[in-house]
Amino acid sequence: MARRFEYAQAEEIRDVFARHDVRYLFIGKSGAILLGYPDTTQDADLFIEKTPTNNAAASRALRELGFELTGDQVAEIERGKDFVQLKNGPFDLDLVFAPDGIEDFEQAWKRRVDVEGFPVCHPDDIIRSKEAAGRVKDREVLPRLKAFRDYWLERNR
Amino acid sequence: MATLVEDPRLDEWRAEFEAAGRRSLRTRFRYAFLHTYKPVLDDAEYRSFDTTADYREWCARHLPPWLGYGPAV
Repeated sequence: MARRFEYAQAEEIRDVFARHDVRYLFIGKSGAILLGYPDTTQDADLFIEKTPTNNAAASRALRELGFELTGDQVAEIERGKDFVQLKNGPFDLDLVFAPDGIEDFEQAWKRRVDVEGFPVCHPDDIIRSKEAAGRVKDREVLPRLKAFRDYWLERNR
Repeated sequence: MATLVEDPRLDEWRAEFEAAGRRSLRTRFRYAFLHTYKPVLDDAEYRSFDTTADYREWCARHLPPWLGYGPAV
């Protein structure tokens, strides 16, 4: 089992993905936490642009980060999946290529927020994806997350 | 997107947001990321799904309901 996700590992993602020109955004609760939302979570969720070039860059970057991907797994990621769950590396990572509630990567990219060099989905997109996913754990967190969004918008006017 | 949540816990939450805002990102990370074992979910090193809907369906069918990955009724 991987250790808990640490700040230094987020920096590694940022730096390695930048070297490989991977287009991605932090999404989900890990994205909200980067924006300042106080809560707990277990892993990082990355929204990866789903294009052949970007998929290939992401698989190269993941191997450089220490994820032990087999040839078949690399081929799957490069071919394009909507969701990949990795627990075969230095930390747990969910790769989300088609998050619920967000129509395309480019629109989310235009709305992104930069937090100390980390590209993060806008809080509205994080909320949209959780609303659309409609899981029990999402519904529980949404009122507080929406209150955070309101607070964040006030602070960032 | 609509804003201005009304909730009796709003003042408490806003105090928490203010407190978090005074912490560095590095400190927020230390408080935010935990690791506990999640049955079934943590029992494979790699999973992939062609569609997000496939993933949601797999979660609903295979994960214990108390993990919260199933659909809200």
